Amino acid sequence: MLEGASLTVGDGEFVSLVGPSGSGKSSLLRAAIGLQRPLAGTVETEVAPAEVGILFQDDALLPWRTVCENVALGPAFHGVERRDAMARGEFWLERLGLIGLGGRFPRQLSGGQRKRVALAQVLVMAPKLLLMDEPFASLDAIVRARIVQDVAELVERDGISALLVTHDLEEAISLSDKIYLLSSGPRAHISQEYAVPIPRPRDPVIARTHPAFAPLYETLWADLSRQVDGDGHPAEAA
Amino acid sequence: MQARRFVWLRQAAAFALLLLVWEAAGRAGLLNPLFAPSPSQIGAALGELFGSGRIWPHLEATFTAALGGLVIGIGAGVMLGVIAALVPLVAELLEPVMTVLNAIPRVVLAPLFVIWLGIGLASKVALSFILVAVLIFFTVFGGIRQVDRRLVERIVTLGGGRWDLVRHVYLPSVTAWVLGNLKVAVGFAFTGACVGEFVAASRGLGYLLSFAQSTYNSALMFALIFLILVVVLLIFWIAGLLEKRLLRWQ
Repeated sequence: MLEGASLTVGDGEFVSLVGPSGSGKSSLLRAAIGLQRPLAGTVETEVAPAEVGILFQDDALLPWRTVCENVALGPAFHGVERRDAMARGEFWLERLGLIGLGGRFPRQLSGGQRKRVALAQVLVMAPKLLLMDEPFASLDAIVRARIVQDVAELVERDGISALLVTHDLEEAISLSDKIYLLSSGPRAHISQEYAVPIPRPRDPVIARTHPAFAPLYETLWADLSRQVDGDGHPAEAA
Repeated sequence: MQARRFVWLRQAAAFALLLLVWEAAGRAGLLNPLFAPSPSQIGAALGELFGSGRIWPHLEATFTAALGGLVIGIGAGVMLGVIAALVPLVAELLEPVMTVLNAIPRVVLAPLFVIWLGIGLASKVALSFILVAVLIFFTVFGGIRQVDRRLVERIVTLGGGRWDLVRHVYLPSVTAWVLGNLKVAVGFAFTGACVGEFVAASRGLGYLLSFAQSTYNSALMFALIFLILVVVLLIFWIAGLLEKRLLRWQ
């Protein structure tokens, strides 16, 4: 359970939130978009709900709608005519490398393709802030690396701010400008903040070979281990 | 030999063989025609039914009762299921009633319907209806409560409203569950119609059956059973096509 957290995602900034299981990472995202109410207190966000997109752990596509219809849902909900919405859907499918799959049903796609559809479904809404709740956890390594590369590129090119919740420290470092570490429960809070000194634009796969990567990974790993082991008092660091 | 595409051929051959043995046993006097008429006698009875044209009003009566009960039953089952799933108070009141109706063999209500609605069509439709409606109610009621929360959240976070949820999540889910149970419902509908006619009627396949029973006409009985079998298989086939068309996303 999370007890008070305040985090800032700057314009075009990529921020990750890492922390032990049960520290409330997902709850924080869900609360931010109003899917979950805090037990006490309030949630304040500075962006309009329509400007926030969220990518869940599961792709949650409607199985009875075609891929393109799924992507066109958001625009349709905001009053865009069906034909227009479908055109926007096709555009985003193409941008995510899913040319010619618009007429298929989600069941006919691979896990990686479905994840891309889910991404298109969110990006078609032109969000200013993209929230991601461990979206790539279920994918196998290569598919995952490729989709992470694409996300980094799209987010960077369109100037979208991003907040990623993840268990994966490598993923967090290679994608982010800033990383928040949550302490372990039951009274979890943000215990540390780390700047990632790897210049952008960057390719998340190449970023792993940057000289700053390994030291930051070690620091994060040491601090996170302390949280998991339950001592709860991270060393003074970065 | 074991290739899957020859399955139907082997099945047809086995069936033909069975008929042949049956016919031969009948002609050799090994079977009492009073209990087990030979296939040719059953065929003759069928030919007479259609040849004289006297089967049509009976077929029409059973079809009308079964399809009427099916349509109204599905309609009422879906409606009650949806309302119960959305309004807790309705669920509190309706669920115990439906559970009791589901637990008893509902055909025991047939005599009651005859007293209430007479020996005409209405009592048969009512029996079909009650058989189908309870089945569909539980299908829809249980189904809506099991709707994938993640899909609901996805629609909401994309900016969809209440109506969008109904249209994109609830309606397709309900359709899938109802279609999944359509064949069972068809079977129930014909059970209701035939049992209703069996109890008290002046027309219908069930009525003919009870007539055949009272006159010890076993050839007619077999012919009617065969006919009902063909009719239900035909409707299963149509239901299958409908399922394939509407659930092509599966």
